[in-house]
Amino acid sequence: MLQAIDLVKRYGPVLALDGFSLSVAAGEIVGLVGHNGAGKTTFVEIVSYLIRQDSGHVTIDGRPPSASRGRVGVAPQHIALYPSVTVREHLNLFGKLSGLRRAALDSAIEELTVALRLGAFIDRRTAALSGGQQRRVQAATALINRPGLLLLDEPTAGADLETREAMLDVVKQRAGDGAAIVYTTHYLPELVELQATIAVARNGKIIARGTYDELVDGLPGEVRLIHDNEEEVRVSTTQPAATLIDLLGRAERPISTIEVYNPSLDDLYRSLAVSDAS
Amino acid sequence: MLLDTGYRPGPTAALRESLYRIRALANNNTLIRLRDPGQTISYVVMPMVLMLVLEPLYVRAVEGGTTKVVTGLLVMFSVFAISIAGNAILAERTWKTWDRLRVSRAPAAELLIGKTLPIYLVMVAQQTILLVYGCLVIGLPIPGNIPLVLGSILVWAFTLLAIGALLAAIVRSHGELSVITDVGALTLSSLGGALVPLSLMPEWAQAAAHLSPGYWALSMLQAAVAGDTAGTMLPAAILLGIALVCGAFAIRRLTRGWGRGGLL
Ligand SMILES: Nc1ncnc2c1ncn2[C@@H]1O[C@H](COP(=O)(O)OP(=O)(O)OP(=O)(O)O)[C@@H](O)[C@H]1O
Ligand SMILES: [Mg+2]
Repeated sequence: MLQAIDLVKRYGPVLALDGFSLSVAAGEIVGLVGHNGAGKTTFVEIVSYLIRQDSGHVTIDGRPPSASRGRVGVAPQHIALYPSVTVREHLNLFGKLSGLRRAALDSAIEELTVALRLGAFIDRRTAALSGGQQRRVQAATALINRPGLLLLDEPTAGADLETREAMLDVVKQRAGDGAAIVYTTHYLPELVELQATIAVARNGKIIARGTYDELVDGLPGEVRLIHDNEEEVRVSTTQPAATLIDLLGRAERPISTIEVYNPSLDDLYRSLAVSDAS
Repeated sequence: MLLDTGYRPGPTAALRESLYRIRALANNNTLIRLRDPGQTISYVVMPMVLMLVLEPLYVRAVEGGTTKVVTGLLVMFSVFAISIAGNAILAERTWKTWDRLRVSRAPAAELLIGKTLPIYLVMVAQQTILLVYGCLVIGLPIPGNIPLVLGSILVWAFTLLAIGALLAAIVRSHGELSVITDVGALTLSSLGGALVPLSLMPEWAQAAAHLSPGYWALSMLQAAVAGDTAGTMLPAAILLGIALVCGAFAIRRLTRGWGRGGLL
């Protein structure tokens, strides 16, 4: 559905994208993670044809972004809503802009109101909403016409638990319906819950891509034993369970504490997503 | 089910869809205008008050003083109204909503029409109200050729809109915009003879006046009010020329967007 090959985008001395390649199939959720300034938003902006790449290619369903207007639903990283306009009026506007009429428009609004829990403030102006509420409205305006490609740039930034759950449910459902989804976040557990393919961006490139298990496999964990409450043994290992058994077999003194650390999401994040600069 | 089919509408259906989107955009912009009407109201009320106060002075100072005071203040405050157009467009940049619209199915031309149509109507309404007020309250004779007057208002409002759109497309903040519109408006309109009749101004100012759109607007409106069709045409053509140049630049700039670094 989405194919980006070798994108380069330069802002003066800053190389925002440096050979960025990523493809997303229909029905697939790609969780795009990476340090601040890794190029995630720049990628989203190029795919949505807001800015042009210096070199490289993007196709959406075989067409370039310039010919894909209205086929891509974009929820930008920064809130972009009309302050004096109500939530319902926003949904009407974006629904109509994507060609929805009367009954279809009403039912799309109704569906999103329930799914993203907008009911309590649907007739309030967006300036009067909380940050998380605005986030949900912004996502709703991107989702309203059921686009085949969804670009959600940190859709849960500043969101509470309820907002997060609602958002993840909708995203899963849209992927189930066949949408290709790029989902940017700094919060890895969301991607595990979405069963997303994780793509790690670093300094303008995708440096790793795979399921959570694939990426975590091979990272070192740690086993820690304390003998008699004093002598400590720490072993860094990619196979914590086997190492533990081995250590226990060789132990000559009573063991007071055993701790096993499996490689975690945070380790994965730290090992992959840290900028060269930091 | 996803709505993304390769469906391409035929020409009439495409036009219908286009009008549907423009209406949605125009409705949204009308809502925004109606919810923040302060600037518009003051640009209608201030010239009304000034006309009332200044009329005796003009009548004593120059021939045709009533026409001059009405058209002069109309032009001056319609130039101030450039900032309504400018702010409305600039606001889309500060709210970041312009990029959201650019991602939608509506092409740039529709976005611009939907954005500017309500503002255009506001500007036309402002000038019409001031002229009617001039006739009913200040004592301007009712023009013999109403369509000519209306046509002039349409041309002048179009010129102002194009200038406003251009400014909104090139400035970097609301502050910059208001400096340009306030100082610029006062200079352009007074240099054009909107504040003090041209015949009373120093000679250099009379010569410089020809560079100001305000001067041409004033000539056009005064000729139109007097029913002088031939005299209306030249200034109207000059104003349309200015409008087309400014409009073309504005459209180019607004279509491209600014990315992230566009505003202060
Ligand atoms: N318009 C611009 N002008 C100058 N530099 C820019 C511009 N847009 C992006 N950049 C630079 O490009 C790099 C990539 O930025 P981008 O916003 O894509 O990062 P990101 O991965 O989305 O980061 P974050 O997690 O903070 O949202 C950064 O170094 C940024 O400063
Ligand atoms: Mg970003």
